[in-house]
Amino acid sequence: MYFEIDSKVRDDKGLRLLRNETHRFAEEVMRPAAKKLDRMPDPEQVIAKGSPYWNVLKEMKAMGYHRLFFHKDYGGLGLSAIEAHIILEELGWGSVGLATAIGVDQVPAGVASLFAMGDVTDNLVIPWAEDTEAKFHGCWGVTEPECGSDYIMATQESFLPYVRELHPGQVRADKSGDGWVINGPKASWLSSAPAATHVGLHVTLPPHDSLANGAFCIVPLDQKGVTKGKPIDKLGLRDDPQGDLVFDNVYIPDDYMIIRPPFYELRVGQILCLTSCFMGTIFTGLARAAFEEALEYSKNRTQGGKPICEHQSIKHKLYAMFEKVESSRYYTRKVMEHVWEKTYIEGTFDASSRHALSAQIYGKRSAFEVAHEAVQIFGGYGLTKDFLVEKLFRDARAGLIEDGTTEVLGLSAAYNIIEQYC
Amino acid sequence: MAIFPSKDWVEAVLEAAKKSEAYREAAKEWEGDFLCIVEGDEEFLRELGRKEVMQGFVSLMDMIPAQDRAKYKGTPTGKVFESLGIPVDVSIKDLNVDEVMNKAAKLSAEDIKGVSLYVWADFWHGAVRNMMPVAPGEHEDAAFKLSGVYSAWKLMVSGKQDTIRLIMSNKLQLQGNMSYMMKHMKAVVLLTKEVFAGVPID
Repeated sequence: MYFEIDSKVRDDKGLRLLRNETHRFAEEVMRPAAKKLDRMPDPEQVIAKGSPYWNVLKEMKAMGYHRLFFHKDYGGLGLSAIEAHIILEELGWGSVGLATAIGVDQVPAGVASLFAMGDVTDNLVIPWAEDTEAKFHGCWGVTEPECGSDYIMATQESFLPYVRELHPGQVRADKSGDGWVINGPKASWLSSAPAATHVGLHVTLPPHDSLANGAFCIVPLDQKGVTKGKPIDKLGLRDDPQGDLVFDNVYIPDDYMIIRPPFYELRVGQILCLTSCFMGTIFTGLARAAFEEALEYSKNRTQGGKPICEHQSIKHKLYAMFEKVESSRYYTRKVMEHVWEKTYIEGTFDASSRHALSAQIYGKRSAFEVAHEAVQIFGGYGLTKDFLVEKLFRDARAGLIEDGTTEVLGLSAAYNIIEQYC
Repeated sequence: MAIFPSKDWVEAVLEAAKKSEAYREAAKEWEGDFLCIVEGDEEFLRELGRKEVMQGFVSLMDMIPAQDRAKYKGTPTGKVFESLGIPVDVSIKDLNVDEVMNKAAKLSAEDIKGVSLYVWADFWHGAVRNMMPVAPGEHEDAAFKLSGVYSAWKLMVSGKQDTIRLIMSNKLQLQGNMSYMMKHMKAVVLLTKEVFAGVPID
């Protein structure tokens, strides 16, 4: 296990045990399942009854990983930012696909735990938090066929003067009696959607003139009018099924409209801060996994009469990979502490989005660069399915697009930097 | 323990704001007044059956100068005042609360529909410069308007539920510059936690 440079973490027995136990879970439960899921030729097998996907999901729920982001008064574990960060890095080390599945799982009820009250907390959030059988499984409905990562821009306050230049959105909610009726399509890139029971859905509200005139609601996916697409066949993150959702006059009660004007863009921007920390951290876990694979391999693989780690070119690579993993861990952790404080301790929801977004970008980019170099160190073997680095590389590449392309994430952060840096 | 809403409660809130160093610090850049609109609901009707609540309510109304209170005439609130025998345009200091309560016992949920009480609060650089009940139509130009039924307000001022969750659940409705509010969320949170919740209510 890596050397922890923060003595407050290193000397804390509880944190050490947490790291070791989560690592054991990642190694013994997640990795074998992720390998099987990754190799399934038909993506529909991933969500079929009896698939390892469901077993891992149940085991993750039994461990409580599905409520890391819930408010502590509504089923949350009440963890510190460091505890959450340690868990997420290990889950990402085990599999970023399955870590993503447990991440999006908490979007519908987790967001409700932060902002809702009444029936939805009693009848959905609490049972969700207590679920250990994967009776509930969530996904996050953001991206749309005609406006991919646009929602990320629309929730950046500094971008709002320009938001009408974007597509006005395809999924719409209109008032109907005591509730809402939803129509429109979400794109094929919704993580876990083909397997989910509920979606945390972004919609626009009348007059449907802008993505910023939006709302976040929960839609049970067994409602009449919901069509789930088949899981797509893709390059990476094959252990997390992705697919589209289409809504045709789907009714939800008013209680399920969780974030509405005038809070939508600002509150959702803060949710993105949480998810950005999440993504940055799990991809740090992937980076570390790739580095550790490469380091180990370089000590055992002999070329020119000596282990390849004794060749200077490999030494250069190993050092650069180490530097990326370590800086990614401590940057994402620091940002998570900041976002955690603003969300769960102070409750002010005014975290710095430029820092959260850069934590996500940095974690993902580090993962890709480290996995790329790991494959290079493995040489031809790195391209074969015999070694984990091949999967890690494909997953890291998918990460540059998942949850917002790094370009759009960076653009969104740039608006914030220009307006609010000082 | 104070009764919400009452003259004692208003005074206790002003005192709590003065005492809270954390609030003063967090709100030192805040500039903006609030018009708070408390709408009658069944819980309010039930609570009026308690003598101390009725006394508190009368004491709050008595803070409004009689000539201003006259603006309630013709409104749903004014009609309830009338049916309770509360004059809107003369002093109500010596009102017989027992008599008012007897009349209040005959009110139904239907009678109380549309009843609204208005409290204006002027928050400025960490201080609450003023807080007082006002008549309908006054301070309509307040930077923020926060409205909702009595039971939702009670959850907020007792600190049992945070303001933002009440607003997002549509239990309280907020109008005003959201961007400004978001930039001063710590002040808003501490106003609830330290100032309002710092005044225990009965």
